[in-house]
Amino acid sequence: MSAPSIPRVHFTELSARERAKALLEAGTFRELLGPFERIESPHLSPQGVVPQSDDGVVVARGTIDGSPAVILAIEAAFQGGGIGEVSGAKIAGALELALGDAEAGTPVRPVLVLETGGIRLQEANLGLLAIAEVHAAIIALRRYVPVVGVIAGPLGCFGGMSIAAGLCSYLIMTREGRLGLNGPAVIEEEAGVAELDSRDNRRVWDIMGGEQRVAVGMADTLTEDDPDSVARAVREAFAAGLPERHRSAKVERYETRLGVIDSSQELDGQKLRSIWAEERR
Amino acid sequence: MCANSAAQLEGGNWRRRREEKARRLNKAGRIARGRVLPTGSIVAALEALIEPGDRVFVEGNNQKQADFLSRSLARVDAGKVHDLHLLISSLSRPEHLDVFERGIARKTDFAYAGPQSLRVAQLLTDGKLKIGAIHTYLELYGRLVLDLAPTVALVAAEQADAAGNLYTGPNTEDTPAVVEATAFRDGIVIAQVNELAEELPRVDLPGSWVDFVVEADRPFHIEPLFTRDPRHISEVQILMAMLTIRGIYERHEVKSLNHGIGFDTAAIELLLPTYGESLGLRGKVCTHWALNPHPTLIPAIESGWVEAVVAFGSEVGMENYTAARPDVFMTGGDGSLRSNRAFAQTAGLYAADAFVGSTLQIDRDANSSTVTRGRLAGFGGAPNLGSDARGRRHTTPAWLSMITGESEVERGRKLVVQLAETFSDGQTPRFVESLDAVEVGRNAGLPLAPVMIYGDDTTHIVTEEGIAYLYRARNLKERREALAAVAGVTPVGLKHDRSREKRLRRDGLVAFPEDLGVRRTDARRSLLAAQSIGDLVEWSGGLYNPPDRFRTW
Repeated sequence: MSAPSIPRVHFTELSARERAKALLEAGTFRELLGPFERIESPHLSPQGVVPQSDDGVVVARGTIDGSPAVILAIEAAFQGGGIGEVSGAKIAGALELALGDAEAGTPVRPVLVLETGGIRLQEANLGLLAIAEVHAAIIALRRYVPVVGVIAGPLGCFGGMSIAAGLCSYLIMTREGRLGLNGPAVIEEEAGVAELDSRDNRRVWDIMGGEQRVAVGMADTLTEDDPDSVARAVREAFAAGLPERHRSAKVERYETRLGVIDSSQELDGQKLRSIWAEERR
Repeated sequence: MCANSAAQLEGGNWRRRREEKARRLNKAGRIARGRVLPTGSIVAALEALIEPGDRVFVEGNNQKQADFLSRSLARVDAGKVHDLHLLISSLSRPEHLDVFERGIARKTDFAYAGPQSLRVAQLLTDGKLKIGAIHTYLELYGRLVLDLAPTVALVAAEQADAAGNLYTGPNTEDTPAVVEATAFRDGIVIAQVNELAEELPRVDLPGSWVDFVVEADRPFHIEPLFTRDPRHISEVQILMAMLTIRGIYERHEVKSLNHGIGFDTAAIELLLPTYGESLGLRGKVCTHWALNPHPTLIPAIESGWVEAVVAFGSEVGMENYTAARPDVFMTGGDGSLRSNRAFAQTAGLYAADAFVGSTLQIDRDANSSTVTRGRLAGFGGAPNLGSDARGRRHTTPAWLSMITGESEVERGRKLVVQLAETFSDGQTPRFVESLDAVEVGRNAGLPLAPVMIYGDDTTHIVTEEGIAYLYRARNLKERREALAAVAGVTPVGLKHDRSREKRLRRDGLVAFPEDLGVRRTDARRSLLAAQSIGDLVEWSGGLYNPPDRFRTW
């Protein structure tokens, strides 16, 4: 039998900075507001949390398929990828600069590498504001150039940043990635363990895992968890150009989808796939 | 028993136990259909077969549980059945202690009390539970055939036929040892089975050893205790694994070994096909294992490192994989794994070059314990595996390499290696002035502090700072110096005298990563042959079927 190559390189094993490098053409990575600029969150130290000198977001310029690109990669290992004032401003600011470039006729390809539980609770309101700016910037920018989101895992993408994911032109996931407005632990705490046991991995991934999200059209591409496959999926998304209509603009489609679901019945991933099969895409 | 023997001599009756058994079997005759007890009548059957004061063995260890029978025992009428002496490998389910709460049992001899250890301490304080002794597995099995013969044994198997033959499946574990001790002293053996079958895939226990079988309400519980998700292995653990492979496995030519449970040893298993391969060690070390089928051993097996594994029990999800690798695992004619805790423990004690495990606390004399404040957890099998077997006589290069004396008559030693990052969770020091076990033992009224591995058995300690080669110390002072040199900034490590370091390294009592040619910056997760459960499934060619809780896709 064929053993995997040893050791296998996984995209999910990479740090945010390594992920950004992996998505850009070799040798083109250039970081903006890198850790040596020491743009840290001022809110964490007073609350006994050690800040990080990039505030957990990497902004990287470089090229994808020869075209200028900007990668916004969130570091899951710092505060669960939570968005605060500074990290949120780095993302929103970069997207706004990209918008300026696009309006000037020199579009830059934006990629969001989303690995986040949403708002960073220590700076909740400022994080919320920043995320709202991110949402507005994505909507403005996607008129000119596709905005591509990557949810590789293993943390996933939740909270306000899951809305940002929903606004993306294209969403790329691995089977270990998860996407949901509320994370499983939050659902269990709010609605009770009978609604969702957050430790029941099979059920959690059946609802919000990459395979299911792609199968029901909430995400576009399921990719292998290695740097080459993810980078290829990103290139292909840009090559596809702007979608005819963005997912988040198809309001009536999602209203129809909600309408056909009988919420008194227990649903599982397979059932949802078959119920929604007819009007997918 | 002495009083009994006198009576036997006077009366000339040498068959009292047999007659007593016959009397009880007769009582249960109304309930049983042949050897089969109806599921719904199990409580009545237990009330007929068990009498006050009996020694009752309930099969339950850290993996397999005769949980239908233990739940049923907790439901008997305490007016009819009380003051039992409970023999059990591991007090791990709530009902194991409910029987004390209800007065059904009064005394226990056991080996381990993992998840229930807090409640054991409470019942002890309340005077509802008396402890005979806390054992290691082998000691307990030894006592079952000597002075603690069970009157009744309640065990678990996968299938039985109408003649009482049992098929245990891959989780044979303790069952043969317990049933032998009971059946051949005229005790009564009751086996719960997942199903009754016309024909068994293989016979693990002959029907003549078994008095009754009963179909359980649901399959017996098995805990996937030995599965570690490679995602949670840290780079500090990888550094320690590299040190162990280089500074111990390679240096001492460790060919046969046991690994304890935990991420430290899982890291070693996953570095064999990568780092170990780069050192050219395949076939030279780690060829024979006394080990449960750890999923993290799959890459090493698939890369041709492992010649043989003898297993204590199985591991949930590894059934198809072990069945497909019969050259490596012990398997029956039906193809499935055969495990045996007593034999695997014996192999770990007498036949293995090394025991390598993790621990929670180590004192300055290298005594170690997994007991933490308020918890009386017991020992399980670790002390059997993690101790020198002074009755050993066969030699191997590793065993001989432990000789430091120069007299004509010397003996080798088992390598007993403890892995311990200097701090747990980056906060709690692992190296301490006094083990929590001392206070826990005192509070529980134990005659001795519950030490898991004694310092004088420990030959090596590995931390992220380096390796202490304790076996090379000529006196207690040197032992303490060597240990303190690798204990980091813990209370024990802070006593380390830096000026002695050069000499300790020169004399081979201590080795730091640079002494072993290990670069700290090489300790990266990318060195792990598998970095996730998904990778392990892929390595196994889809044969490993991880339990749901370990699936992240």
